[in-house]
Amino acid sequence: MKPEQTFFEDPALDRAFGVLMALAQEVWVLRDRVKAMEEQLAERGVLDPKKLSEEPATDERAAEREAFVAHLMQSLAGEQQSKGLP
Amino acid sequence: MIDGRSFAAGQAFLLSVKTHWTRAIYPAVRAEYDKSNDLFQKNTLYRYFCWLERHLQRFKYSGRYGLQPYHAQQREQLEKTLEGAPVELQADPEYPDYYTAIDIHQHPGGVWSDPIAGFVYERGARSTTPLAGMRHKDLHERLTAAALGGRPAPARILDMACGFGKSTRPFYEALPGAEVEAIDLSAPCLRLAARDAQRAGAGRVRFRQRDATHTGYPEASFDLVTSTMLLHELPPKAVERTLAETARVLKPGGRMVHLDFLPGPDPFDKLVHFGHSRRNNEPFMEPLARTDLAALLGRLGFRDVEIRPFEEADGTLAPGYRYWRFPWALISAERW
Repeated sequence: MKPEQTFFEDPALDRAFGVLMALAQEVWVLRDRVKAMEEQLAERGVLDPKKLSEEPATDERAAEREAFVAHLMQSLAGEQQSKGLP
Repeated sequence: MIDGRSFAAGQAFLLSVKTHWTRAIYPAVRAEYDKSNDLFQKNTLYRYFCWLERHLQRFKYSGRYGLQPYHAQQREQLEKTLEGAPVELQADPEYPDYYTAIDIHQHPGGVWSDPIAGFVYERGARSTTPLAGMRHKDLHERLTAAALGGRPAPARILDMACGFGKSTRPFYEALPGAEVEAIDLSAPCLRLAARDAQRAGAGRVRFRQRDATHTGYPEASFDLVTSTMLLHELPPKAVERTLAETARVLKPGGRMVHLDFLPGPDPFDKLVHFGHSRRNNEPFMEPLARTDLAALLGRLGFRDVEIRPFEEADGTLAPGYRYWRFPWALISAERW
């Protein structure tokens, strides 16, 4: 296969923007699916769309979210997680 | 496995991004060009404009929700629908090098090598021009109206490079009594075109696998010869041979109408169009634009040569229209 055309000074940006667009497309595909599921569940009375959309009274998923953020940001620390070469 | 909903959502996302590119990014790039210097190629927004044109098309055909993988997983059912389609195919077709060397439109395998290529191309063509669907009249119907308007109805029509038959359909629908010959190099596209014509009950149209540069029809055997988006796919010698063949098969007084892309003199229009040519794997747009078609047609035996901008949808030629569009041009002439 031939190398892909590039448009930026650093081809790393060409490639990274491709990753970003792939993720953006995936986000939309998931949003579309979640919405369709909500509609179908609401039609069958399984789900209350109003309750689903209102602001929660308590922070329902704080611990899970913090774990998610910790994992997301972990790479920024730049520290080895196992004993290795300097 | 790509399910139908995810495919539709994935493709719809790409079309929405392309629509934004057409309506928001393109005019902004134009504005930056107008106030820039000769270093415009380094302009950041222009780089994103180019990146998006190249890669949205890649995602559309080859990506996770691409046309090629989605149709490939339905291969058996799709091929079954083509069985018995009335089409004349060559046992051992010879394809020109320019046709096989590059996958046009970034369509993997091109429009010819995979038996399902016609389906992939047809689906892809629905979203080639993001704004076209928003207006009432399809460009192929507009071409048919332009080709037939104000003249006696042609009895025999040749549609060169008919693809999957989108350009041929308005002719056989508008003139059910005319004999319409439609030719293309792509067997998968011809089979789809023939299947759809049969389903539409069109009796007097024939689809044949032939090269527009040497069609095999007798001299002076057509009243009208047309093509849509053919010439820009051809290297200059093949353009000349195609127009010479057009002259050969037309009756004296017969008419040719080729619809294609020819940018005007504006340097920005040329930059965008020739860049599109490279980014969309269609390398011959620039040589076509540099060809003196009027002189060539005169030498080949045509008169009343007219090359004019073509309004592919309502309002696209209006002053102040500022969204991206192809530089559509109608190239017409009459055979001596």
